[in-house]
Amino acid sequence: MAKHISIAGKGGTGKTTLAALLIRYLLEKNKKPVLAVDADPNANLYEALGLERGGSVSEIIKNTKDINAVPQGMTKDVYIDYHLQRALSEGKGLDLLTLGGPEGAGCYCFPNQLLSHFMGQLSDNYPYMLIDNEAGMEHLSRRIAQSVDLLLIVSDSTVRGVRSAGRIAALTQSLDLKIKNSYLVLNRSKNGADAKLQEEIEKTKLHLIGSIPEDPRVFDYDASGRPLFELPLVSPATKAAFNIGDQLKI
Amino acid sequence: MSKIICSAAIRGAHNIFERTEKKWQEAMDKYGAKQEVGFPNTGYYLPIIYGILGIPIETLGDMEKVLNKCRLLLPPPVHEEVHTPYLAPALDAGMATLFAEEMEEAIRILENPNFYTQQEDPTSDNIWLGPANDVTLRRRGIEFVDGSAPGFAAILGAAPDDDVAVQIARELQERSLYVFMGAQHEGRHFAQQLVDNNVQIGWPTRLVSFGPDISAAVFALGFATRAAMAFGGVQPGDSRKILEYNKERVFAFVMALGKVTDEWYANAAGAINYGFPVIADTPIPEVLPTGICTYEHVISNIPYDEIVDRAAEVRGLKVTVSEVPVPVSYGPAFEGERIRKEDLHAECGGGASLAVELATMKELDEVEDGHIEVIGPDIDEVEPGTKLPLGVVVEIAGREMQDDFEPILERQIHHFVNYAEGVMHIGQRDIAWYRISQNAYEKGFRIKNIGDILYAKLHQDFGTIFDKLQVKLYTREENVREIIENARDIYATRDARIEGMTDEDTDPFYSCTLCQSFAPSHVCMVSPERTGLCGAYNWLDCKAAYQINPQGPNQPVNKGKLISEKYGEWEGINEFVKQASRGKIEGYTFYSILDRPMTTCGCCECVAAVLPMCNGVMTVNREHEGMTPCGMKFTTLAGTVGGGQSTPGFVGHSKYYICQRKFIAAEGSILRLVWMPKSLKEEIKDRFNARAEELGIPDLLDRIADEDVGVTEEEILPFLEEKDHPALKMDPLF
Repeated sequence: MAKHISIAGKGGTGKTTLAALLIRYLLEKNKKPVLAVDADPNANLYEALGLERGGSVSEIIKNTKDINAVPQGMTKDVYIDYHLQRALSEGKGLDLLTLGGPEGAGCYCFPNQLLSHFMGQLSDNYPYMLIDNEAGMEHLSRRIAQSVDLLLIVSDSTVRGVRSAGRIAALTQSLDLKIKNSYLVLNRSKNGADAKLQEEIEKTKLHLIGSIPEDPRVFDYDASGRPLFELPLVSPATKAAFNIGDQLKI
Repeated sequence: MSKIICSAAIRGAHNIFERTEKKWQEAMDKYGAKQEVGFPNTGYYLPIIYGILGIPIETLGDMEKVLNKCRLLLPPPVHEEVHTPYLAPALDAGMATLFAEEMEEAIRILENPNFYTQQEDPTSDNIWLGPANDVTLRRRGIEFVDGSAPGFAAILGAAPDDDVAVQIARELQERSLYVFMGAQHEGRHFAQQLVDNNVQIGWPTRLVSFGPDISAAVFALGFATRAAMAFGGVQPGDSRKILEYNKERVFAFVMALGKVTDEWYANAAGAINYGFPVIADTPIPEVLPTGICTYEHVISNIPYDEIVDRAAEVRGLKVTVSEVPVPVSYGPAFEGERIRKEDLHAECGGGASLAVELATMKELDEVEDGHIEVIGPDIDEVEPGTKLPLGVVVEIAGREMQDDFEPILERQIHHFVNYAEGVMHIGQRDIAWYRISQNAYEKGFRIKNIGDILYAKLHQDFGTIFDKLQVKLYTREENVREIIENARDIYATRDARIEGMTDEDTDPFYSCTLCQSFAPSHVCMVSPERTGLCGAYNWLDCKAAYQINPQGPNQPVNKGKLISEKYGEWEGINEFVKQASRGKIEGYTFYSILDRPMTTCGCCECVAAVLPMCNGVMTVNREHEGMTPCGMKFTTLAGTVGGGQSTPGFVGHSKYYICQRKFIAAEGSILRLVWMPKSLKEEIKDRFNARAEELGIPDLLDRIADEDVGVTEEEILPFLEEKDHPALKMDPLF
């Protein structure tokens, strides 16, 4: 079974950056192949990883209800399995699955149940699965995974950001999800956590596993559309992410 | 039964009986009635007589009552003016023949104890083994029970030349059959032909030379009779069970090579009692209709190169394949394996190239069992990483095969191919997708092995529904394209058949309790003509989901006793619903909106509601946000009727269900439908119009009001009157 690492956090905190850098870490440490899952409705992990954009799972799920999309003689399990496998973007040591936006109103219990079955089967092919989540994590338990080995909650280096991270951590407790270990990661930190921030972090009861410093190259790469995946290993952001990887003993 | 055959069999039986009676009289005179007699080293006396009649023959004197029984069994010879019936008297004559011959052989052994070797192998000067003793019976007969030997071929006479004899023996050995040999044709014996060609005969090689005369047939049938008593636990004298045991468990047949004499016919009639058919190389009359044997009783004039195949087919002998011959590990553990792009050697389908799978039924003579052919290059003839087109065509023939089985067998391709390590299979039909890994390739896996897998596994798991199977694997684009075109027509026919499935003819239905997490008393029931109300699944989906997870939320439910056909209510369903809703719901109807309609979870695609003033029903889909003539919007409706309740006058359903024949059939189906949103009309119009046509009102959709006409009953009623909507003239709803 894949070791499941999930990254959560409020929008704009840098989840995708951390995801890309940690995937890089896994590949450099020869912990591969990795199954990356982009669960953010505003999917852009593929860009950070320098991959082609794949199909989206929500499209597949939506199509299961289209009278004309699935022939009568083909059952939805076959349909979902086929399109799920097709939706993967394939890279070196790494495959990426994009979930896409919400399906809209209506009941998707049945296709989601099948999806969850095939996701389990698919992730068994990889020693590591890394998920870049949307802010809330409801979709996770519903169809992707029922347990998380490592949950990393990303926050910017502000009091408000850390409070928000604390709320997300509390929220995850209420989900039907087994989380083994949760940690906090500070992003775009200028010079670590000052006393005020430290106080807020303690309130969240989350252990701060590391900070990613502000790195102008991250901004440059984003601005010019270059994959973050290609950041030099010596760049401060990459180094910090690798340090987090070592700390976590992934 | 053929009059010629019956006449001959009865004539033969009379000859054999008279000869035996004469020999018995002579032996009585010579040895006296107290003289012990029997086959050596057996506890079953003369086994056919003991098994069928329950009479233990221990002395010459004991034979008298059996001779009397024979006399009663023997019918008078057939005269010109007698036309019917033929079968029963001929079968009786056959039994009398076997009794007489057993006694004749016993007397022969009494007079000449060294006539047979009485062991498992021939000696240098005697090839005839005689009846098997009980040690041999136990050692060899057990193979009939555990399946390592499916049965035996009783060969009478001789082949026209030695090569044919050797060939036939080899083919029978390949099918793991015992070959029991007796009788002669033009002075030659089949067993001698084998010996002359250095084929080793005897029990160890399963080529058993019983005796030189036709009466040796009783050693074969006696062996079968003893097997029923020794392994089947049948009591001596329980003739019916002995014969049935053999018909069902011992795959034996008589192969008559050479002139079929009256005495051969008499013995053949005896064998038919056991369900063992006769296959002849000469042009004797055939006895085709089935009755005693599984299929035909006598077929004739069969060419030598087909005779073993035909015999196996007529007897219903199944091929058993125990191992899957592939150079990689094989098992369910490898299902779900994803071959990653960087690990693959070759890929077929999945958008990379064309790929298609088709299981198709053929005539028996069009299929050569076990034939596997790659038409086009295999993966060792192309560059690594190549995207190859692939057409997998499984051709199946069999006595019990039906075209309904084609899609069932076709679906198995997915599982069976997936079991191979390093081979990925996804999809089915014309969206099949294969990936073969570099690893599997290096171990020797080729496209051809896909055929090996399908041949072995389909025989193993589905051998009961077909007899022969061959696999053709096409890897040239023009061939694959042609197959796809042909296959699409077949898929369309199959889909139409699924759509044509009726609730009346289907059992079980399937439950779905997935939504109980938020509607605890809700139990969906899915039948072919009432798809799930969420719109996501039909009966076939539920069936597949059940197979994936037998403990899951989709369970088969037997309908049980029919309560009402019109309303769609069954005792078995009600019992299940009551139990699965924890007693909250006593039961419901499938096709009514008024009388205890099916429960609704709240996540249905549409909600239908009764409009009393219009004497009709409206329905609204989830996407429609506006007001409806029942006074509620969709969200209010779903909230009111959802939560697992059964609310008379309201029912949740899928879009697809509207156009199914059972849509509120109790109240008049779509002829009651007086209002639905324009967008819904548009979405389902093709199917709806087809259904309306069936009901004789092809323009029904135009007579149904929508939000442009109005959103209250008062607003839409004049429109319905103007359009002469059929609901207005139907029986009042209340």
